[in-house]
Amino acid sequence: MKNPFWDFRSVPAQRREIPLDRIVRAREETLDRIVQGYLQLVEEEVRDLVWLAEESKVERAYNAAVRSVGGLEYDADDIDEFCALLDSSSKIPYLISGPAGIYISALVNRAEDDRIVLCPKDYERSFHFLGYKLPEGKTLVLQGDVGDFTGAGLFGGCLLVEGSVGNWCGAGMMKGEIRVAGDAGQNTGEWMRGGEIHVDGTIQGVGTKFYGNTGYRVLFGGKIYQKGKLLVSRALVKGADQVSKGQP
Amino acid sequence: MRKDRDALLREVWARVREDHLFPELPPPEWTDEGERVALEIKDKKISLSRPFVERMSEHMPEDEVVEGLLDHAISHHLSCPWDFRTHMKLYAEAKQTLKEPGLAQLATGYFMDVVADTYAMRRKESPLPRLYRYFERDEVDEAIHALYQRIWGVDLGIERHERIARRLSRIPYLDRRRWTASIRRFSKLLHALLVKEEEQEGANDENPMGNHDLQQYSAQEVESGLKDLARDAASPTEFKEIVEDFEEEILEATDPREEGMGLGSGRSFDADVLYYMKLAENYSLPVRTMPSRNSGALYPHHHLPWEIGKPYHDIDPWTSFGKIMPGITQTWKRREGELRGEEEETPDCLIMIDSSGSMPNPKRHLSYAVLGAACAAEAYLRRDARVAVYNFSDAHVGGRRSLPYTDRRVDIYRTLCHYFGGGTRLQIEDIEALQAGGAPDIFLITDMQITNLTALIELFNARENRVTAVHIGDNDSVRTFRRSMAPRKNVSVFAVEEKQSIPAIVLGKVKEYLYS
Repeated sequence: MKNPFWDFRSVPAQRREIPLDRIVRAREETLDRIVQGYLQLVEEEVRDLVWLAEESKVERAYNAAVRSVGGLEYDADDIDEFCALLDSSSKIPYLISGPAGIYISALVNRAEDDRIVLCPKDYERSFHFLGYKLPEGKTLVLQGDVGDFTGAGLFGGCLLVEGSVGNWCGAGMMKGEIRVAGDAGQNTGEWMRGGEIHVDGTIQGVGTKFYGNTGYRVLFGGKIYQKGKLLVSRALVKGADQVSKGQP
Repeated sequence: MRKDRDALLREVWARVREDHLFPELPPPEWTDEGERVALEIKDKKISLSRPFVERMSEHMPEDEVVEGLLDHAISHHLSCPWDFRTHMKLYAEAKQTLKEPGLAQLATGYFMDVVADTYAMRRKESPLPRLYRYFERDEVDEAIHALYQRIWGVDLGIERHERIARRLSRIPYLDRRRWTASIRRFSKLLHALLVKEEEQEGANDENPMGNHDLQQYSAQEVESGLKDLARDAASPTEFKEIVEDFEEEILEATDPREEGMGLGSGRSFDADVLYYMKLAENYSLPVRTMPSRNSGALYPHHHLPWEIGKPYHDIDPWTSFGKIMPGITQTWKRREGELRGEEEETPDCLIMIDSSGSMPNPKRHLSYAVLGAACAAEAYLRRDARVAVYNFSDAHVGGRRSLPYTDRRVDIYRTLCHYFGGGTRLQIEDIEALQAGGAPDIFLITDMQITNLTALIELFNARENRVTAVHIGDNDSVRTFRRSMAPRKNVSVFAVEEKQSIPAIVLGKVKEYLYS
């Protein structure tokens, strides 16, 4: 009697491995660890799914995020895929734009790549705080519209936004450059201490409006340009030195 | 030479079949067409281009060329797309990402090729990489081949597209459960190159490994795939968006002369009709049959005295005391009457569907009214009964459509899918006219917010037709109708709130059988 399994003699007992298997496995492991870090951050920093953008909280969240991504090995593609996961995956039960943006910023700032391109236009949700504390020598390109506090606390990096930004763009930035191809929202450059913001579209408001009866909200330094023209270079506290101020 | 080549194909086919664990595919054959396209799959039959193989065999042994092509073709059958439904699902995802049907078709084709080839490479030591090295390549092909270099660990002589290949290589192509997310990412990453390819005038739009049209599927596969797609689609619009881009191919893939796909004769294509038709095929409603009446046979009705000259065969010996005497002998008088024979049959059905403004537009959203009515129509048609449709809204001012009794599914569905979107009023005369002199079953589906509901209740009270009334939602009118119909044994009322309620409908249900 013929052995019925004889026809299958050429089938290898072990599955062949191709480089794709290794690449996908490594990617999964890295992404899992990145996701774990984010979930841990949310657990630590977000109470009752409410997170208020206060300076101390932002700073604390960023430090926690930096600690969390410290031991990870990843590249720009991992960050890009993590953003896509945040946007659509069931792996991540909730997305809170503030901490998510801060975590992405921590990933960007700690990545080995000098130039990172993210595509917010591909995402349905918007992230805040993208480019937070972007350090010197790094370039972050954001293709599409982004949320509030984009480039806040920028620390010498170059942030290019191929779209519009929300409110408080470049708030508290120390140095570096933000270039926005679209429009900017209100309080642009509020509390900025240095660096430049260039906006090619319209700016709804810069951080120099009246602050009760006491004076102006201030830009301690830095310059804001609109369509190539200097708009604000250092706003005043009432009674302080007059500085150049155009029409916002 | 020809004989040699046939023998070669037979030999390689046997080997490749074994490598792929004997897929159920007919033996491949040679074709003299397509110098630039190596493969064609029609209705599962693989055809290899003789000129193409001849050209490629200048660079590598002919049996390797054939083996590589067969590996590719079989992998399409065994891994991706696997079936028509998966193909359409992948296309839908690609279209959602790329927005353009042309780009989405290109992306779907490339994705399926990558999955199939990678499947083959993992399964066996395939000569595919050697084959690809000699292919003519455009920009996208180069990017894909750069990807192959990374994920297969081979050298195809590509030095460009490093970044895109790196990003593409992170997609888990062989994980079927993640194909929807994978093709979205794949399409996104290739978007710019695909746009470039589409814009290039005179670009070679032929895939050397064959174009992925729907002809590769059998009519039955397309039919069952459409059924699955209709079931999975969230709305008719979603279904329409996918199938409308393949209008020609769907008609081509299925023989429109056959009633199989349900479109009947002619080459018309109406995605809404197709959607409800295929969705309704997923349900099977039971229809209560009823004893056939007026069989035409005469039956003994009463006695009459026998007279001389009358035939003997109707004499009833029991009441005639065994005598043949005028005045004493009794004969049976036979009469045709309301005889209910032992055979049961399904009567014709009159479907009354409300398409007023309070009902959803079946072309935009899934309409339970149309689906319910379609399921009812299918149930009667399956039992060789005919169906008439009365679609009403503002019937008194012309907002109505009547379809006389027919078994033409397309006409029935077209009438069911028509949406008026106005007020809700029936014309009782229209319904009377559709009674066709008999007592067909009546299937009514509405939200019951009918201005002249009382007239309808009176009609149902006056007639003996078996009525299946289905209401969508709950309101005062529904309660009134239910209350009024409660004593009627021939009226059954069902509620439909969601798709899952539809199978609970029993057509022609009679609470207490009339003649039991």
